[in-house]
Parts: sequence; C-alpha cells; structure tokens
Amino acid sequence: MHEASAHAPPPLPLTGVRVIDVGNFLAGPYAASMLGEFGAEVLKVEHPIAGDPMRRFGTATKRPDATLKWLSEARNKKSVTIDLRQPDGVQLFLKLVAKSQVLIENFRPGTMEEWGLGWKELSAANPGLVMLRVSGYGQTGPYRRRSGFAHIAQAFGGLNYLAGFPGETPVLPGTVPLGDYIASLYGAIGIMIALRHQERTGRGQIIDVGIYEAVFRVLEEIAAAYGVDGRIREREGSGSFVACPHGHFRTKDDKWIAIACTTDKMFERLTVAMGQPQLASSGLYGDQRKRLAARDAVNQMVNEWVGNLLRDDVLQKCLDEEVPVGKVNSIADIFEDEHFIARGNLAHFDEPGLGDVVVPGVVPTLSATPGRITNLGPTLGNATAEVMRDLLNLSAAEVQRLRQAKII
Amino acid sequence: MTETTAAAALPLTGIRVVDVATVIAAPYCATILGEFGADVLKVEHPVGGDALRRFGTPSKRGDTLTWMSEARNKRSVTLDLRRAEGVDVFKQLIAKTDILCENFRTGTLEKWGLGWDVLHEINPGLIMLRVTGYGQTGPYSDRPGFARVAHAVGGIAYLAGMPKGTPVTPGSTTLGDYMTGLYGCLGVLMALRHREHTGEGQYVDAALYESVFRATEELAPAFAMYGVVRERLGSSHNDFACPHGHFATKDGKWVAISCATDKLFMRLANAMGRPELASSSTYGEQKTRLQHRHDVNEIVRDWCGSLTREEALARCYATDTPAGPLNNIADIFGDRQFHARRNLVAVDEPDTGESIIVPAPVPLLSETPGSIRSLGPTLGQHTDEVLREVLGMSDADIADLRVKRVV
Repeated sequence: MHEASAHAPPPLPLTGVRVIDVGNFLAGPYAASMLGEFGAEVLKVEHPIAGDPMRRFGTATKRPDATLKWLSEARNKKSVTIDLRQPDGVQLFLKLVAKSQVLIENFRPGTMEEWGLGWKELSAANPGLVMLRVSGYGQTGPYRRRSGFAHIAQAFGGLNYLAGFPGETPVLPGTVPLGDYIASLYGAIGIMIALRHQERTGRGQIIDVGIYEAVFRVLEEIAAAYGVDGRIREREGSGSFVACPHGHFRTKDDKWIAIACTTDKMFERLTVAMGQPQLASSGLYGDQRKRLAARDAVNQMVNEWVGNLLRDDVLQKCLDEEVPVGKVNSIADIFEDEHFIARGNLAHFDEPGLGDVVVPGVVPTLSATPGRITNLGPTLGNATAEVMRDLLNLSAAEVQRLRQAKII
Repeated sequence: MTETTAAAALPLTGIRVVDVATVIAAPYCATILGEFGADVLKVEHPVGGDALRRFGTPSKRGDTLTWMSEARNKRSVTLDLRRAEGVDVFKQLIAKTDILCENFRTGTLEKWGLGWDVLHEINPGLIMLRVTGYGQTGPYSDRPGFARVAHAVGGIAYLAGMPKGTPVTPGSTTLGDYMTGLYGCLGVLMALRHREHTGEGQYVDAALYESVFRATEELAPAFAMYGVVRERLGSSHNDFACPHGHFATKDGKWVAISCATDKLFMRLANAMGRPELASSSTYGEQKTRLQHRHDVNEIVRDWCGSLTREEALARCYATDTPAGPLNNIADIFGDRQFHARRNLVAVDEPDTGESIIVPAPVPLLSETPGSIRSLGPTLGQHTDEVLREVLGMSDADIADLRVKRVV
C-alpha cells in the first residue's frame, strides 16, 4: 500500500519531532514512549546522579540502572542528564526546549515554577511549545498540590471502588498503574491535536491531565445515572449488571474462562453449546430481563456446565457456536498463545549482558507507518554528550565544566 | 466546560469523520475527535441504529444515558449497508471523508464490498480505524470479541480479585473498549499527520485485547526472564512496595494508601502518630516492610479501622502521605476537585428538557479545549441535511431512498 523501498524501513509519522520527557515513572513518560515508537526523537532528561526512579522500581536485572519495567517502558528514549535544581541546568534546559516541539512533565504542580521553568519561561524560550503536564489531580483545583500516584488517583477517580465483590474489599483493577497508562493515552492524543494546531498557527499550548479524571472519563454512564436517579454503581464481582451470563467461570481443571452473552442471540448460542437449547426459549431464559432477574440461577447453570469440562473443551464448544468466550489468561498462557505470537505482541530483544528480553509490542498497528522499538530503556546519560555537542553546540571544554559541576 | 466555544475555534474543524461502528470501542475514537471539532457522521442501520442506544440506563427519550453521553456531538445518518444502494451512498460519503471508524467482525465490510482496497481506491487519503476483539490478522481474527473477553485474553482479568479467588471485572466491563478507542484515536491522529505530509492514507488495526495487555507493565518481561507468573493482586500490591493498598475505615468506607518509598512510609508513620515505626530497626526500609508485609498491613489496617475516612485522610494529607478515598459516584458528585476542574457537565436535552450530567472532555487543552455541543442524536436526526449538504442530493433523491428503506 505504500512505496517503501526494499532498503529503507517504512517512514514514521513523527519523524522530525523532538520530545523532551522530564517526567518520572509512567504517567506522562508513557506518552513519550508512544510518540517515540512512531518516530519522535525522545530525550529523557534525568537527574545526573539518581535518574528516573523507575530505573529502580520493579523487577531487578543484571544491569544496576535498569529494572525490567525501565527496559520496557523507556524504550526508544535517549537519556540526557541535567540537574534542574541548579541555575546552569535550568539555562541548559531552556536551550533544549527552544529546539524541541514537545515537553512532557509530571512533577507535582508548582515544582517546575519553583525552578524557573513555568509556562512563562518555557513559552518565552519556545512560543510554539506543546507541553503535557500530568499529575494526580491536574494543574488546578483545591487538591492540585496533593501527591497522586496512579493507585491513589484511580481510587479517587472512582475505578477502584468498582473492582471486587459486592459488599467485600475493593481490589486492584488488575494492573496497578492502569491510571498512568490511561492518562498517558489522553496526553498523547492531546499532544497530537496540539501539534496540529501549532503547525497551523505557530501557537503552542498546555495539555493538563489529572490521572483521576482520565480514569473517571472511562466509566461510561455512572455519572449520568447518578445524576438522573441517584443510583450508585457498586462492585459487580465477576459479572455485569446489564447482561447475563457475563462473567468468569471455573473449569474442571481449575482454570477460568470468560463468557459474555451481551444479547439474547448470544445466549441462545451458548445454550446450543451447552446442549440445552430449551433454556433459550421465551418461557425460560430467552429474554435478557428474565436472565437478569434470575441471574443466580442462570450463572449456576453455566457454572455447572463449565465446571464439568476442561478449559480447552469449554472454549472449543463455545467457539463452535460463536459464543463470545476467552481464556482468563495468565502471563504463562499468553506466552503460549499463537495469536499473541502471530500479532507480534511479544517483542524480543537481545540486550547486551541480559540476553533475551521480551516486552509488549507496539499498539496500535498502522498499515503504512507501523511503529517500532529501536532500543530498550537507555543507560543513564547515554546521549548527554551527543546532545550537548550536536544539538546545543557546546564546546568540549564547556561540556567538561558542566560535568565537573555535576550539572550534567 | 466550554459549551460556549464555537466549533470554528476547535483544532479539528474541517475534518469529517464517518463513524459506522457500534457500542463504545471505535465510536469513542470518533467521540474524542468530535469534542475537538471534527464533524462526526454516525452512520447507523435505519431500523434500531447503534446497539449503544439500548445499552445502559433508559433515558426519558427512549434511548439510554450511555448513548446520550458517548454519542455527544455526533450527527446521525441512517443507511442500510446490506442494500446495494446503501453501499453506493456510503461510497459517495467516503469520497468526502477524512476518517472512517468501524468495528464490525473482520470480513464484514469486505462482504458488503466495502473493504480497505475499495475504500482506499475511492479515497486514497482515507484513514480507517478498524477495531475488533483480536485485530485484523492472526488465528483468532474472526472470533467475536467483547471487552469482557478481551480483559480475560489480554491478561488483566486474571490479575483482578483476591488471591486464589474468582477473577473479577477490573472495575468496569467496558474498560478495554475505552482504552482501544484511545489507542485508535492516537493512531488516527498520527495517520492524519502522515497524510498531511504525504497525501497517503492508511488503516489503523486495533485489537481490544492488545490495549489491555499493553498496560501490564513488566508482566511479560518478568515471565520471560524469571518465569514469574503474577497472580491476583487482591486489595494490596506488595511485590515492590508496602503498604500499598486499600484499607477499611471505621465508617465502613475505604481509603487507598500508597508508600512507594521509605520517605513516604516515614510520612505515614508520622500521620499515624508512630514515627518509631519508620526507624531503621523497625520498618524504615522497604525490604523489611516487604518481608513483614502482613504485620505492616495489619498496623495500617488497625489504624484506619479506628478512624473515619475523613479523619484518616486528613492525617495523611497533613503529612503529605499519598492517600485518597475510594470514591463512589456519590462521593464524586460531592467533591470539590471534580467541581473545580469542571469534570461534570450538565447538558440539556432539547426534546425532553432533561438535563443530563456527563463527564467533560479529557484532556484539557489550554488554547483549544474540547467541547460538548450536543448530546447523542436521535436516530436519523441528520440524515436529510447530510445527504443534502455533503452529497448534494435533492429532496426527491432522499425521498426515493427513504421509500426503498435505504435510509
């Protein structure tokens, strides 16, 4: 579909865009990772001594400056060390900003201003700058100064209240920094929209994302429903309030399977798979409303059927009838799954000193300009010299001075 | 939020989107584009329309609150793609469209003669978002896929729930739909940039299961390197940090407390009035806390259980400990931060006069903020105006299509 030559890889849509990522952990930096996958040059600006704390968070590797989380999520970035707590570091940073299109940060609101790096100074250095600011509660409002990690922001945004069984302890919604990922997705979309506006008008702007509001935005109609009749959505366990059967069921081999009968037609297919088509008659459970009213009984029948079969057998019977079904995959299941392999969802890297490192591949897939992973998380300061020399045109003596003063 | 913003000031003004998809996944991409100024034409089957109209809490108008909120800013055009004339009208529309969003089962559009090759030939600059459960390729690509199944296949349902207990819904059954809408939207905007530089269109292939799998941080690398199979997390995730979880308060409510570092634990110890807990000989070090996670969690649980939620949080905030309430929707409606950030917007529905409160657009842009200009349209509300304005049809043409039930 595109005219890619046999020699050059396909073009990337963000080639020529320089992104400074001065954030820590994931909320915001993950937006930079995605932009980097699609061709942006991402300069990860880190403290010269400590670097991003994500280098030490998660499962350790033989590389002392890199956990697995860092290797995977700092993909495609170049590391540049600058100490923003020193005035010379601030000046250096402003020069870098002047040569970049996008800046991503997630300090507690007010921190960059304390360093003399508020929007006023940044936009003076670069009037077209697009700046993504991610924090737990956003840049405004009474709680803006509170510390907000994903876990707290997800709870505040209403997601964690909903995970777990009714009346029981709310659990974590599957993946701990989910809010960081979702906030970064919104941030990256904001950046793309703002870049387009910038290219047309020359004007930059700020994208302000509170992790809590990113999470709140994906909770479908719970606000509208509360607004209309005061209904508070509660935890729904492994099921759903709007459809039945729609949940997780344990198989004979003590594994789990997800079945989602959103409509009557799908329930009818399930009953055929179960060999009990009569259950879908109008006198019995053919109608969604009747199933919801008798959900315990319906779930019990599905539980019994599933519980008498191996997971693979349940899966095959459901697939044969086109019932929406899937294994509740552990990561071990995922590594064996032919579909994950076929879609390139597990990307292998031969990393010096570490051997094979497997990370999630690029999402989404673009047909003409697919994203790519060129390198895993960099060592601290691996691009400092290059950036100082080639981008900021500093002399070797000046670079030496900055190093000695621990500014870079 | 910015109801007064004129569409002309929005950054995607002039972009036309055809949203022929259903429910949330691909349509949510169109919703975001619409908030930022794109003209979104929701193309629906003349009888019944998008199933989202029947999904969720009924509205006074006879559709649902989910529809009214998430089909915001869209114009509804009916068209039966199962009829040859409907296909013909659709092709005319695609010739004048920048972005097409669809989420039929793989092969469905091809069956109707509306596959990528055909559409790309009609409009070489077209960008097409294709969302399915498993993507356009791979052995499962023809399986039906819903978010519930995608959460399971993508590995996050396995992780949600009490250890060894039944895996639960990770908070919301449509999470994967929204996340895929977000990935799709990002892909579409990158493709749009590529097109504006080269004239070349392309399609974006997004799979529900991939969106959630991508958010599992180091789950895959840790299995590959060390064979670690992460199990359900329960209410606390203590692989790397402790305490880090949910704790019940005296008034039967819940707080989240998250001490990722020793410094943050010291603040919590101060909030609890027990600074000695953070000394090096007690629980000052993360390693020690992780070894004694049950004891540490017990101490925090006892402390939280002796206070109301407001008391526990006030003490945490006073020492800058990362903590927050597990808000339910009633808490959210009463919260100052949500109000200050205008995260809740009341929008009037003109036909019934009903005022619906919906989440405001995210993210917040300083120069070109998004806006909600209308709630979800009634079925076919804009068929005539779109056929007239965009395709230049006469009233007689339109009447003819209507008689034939094409629109």
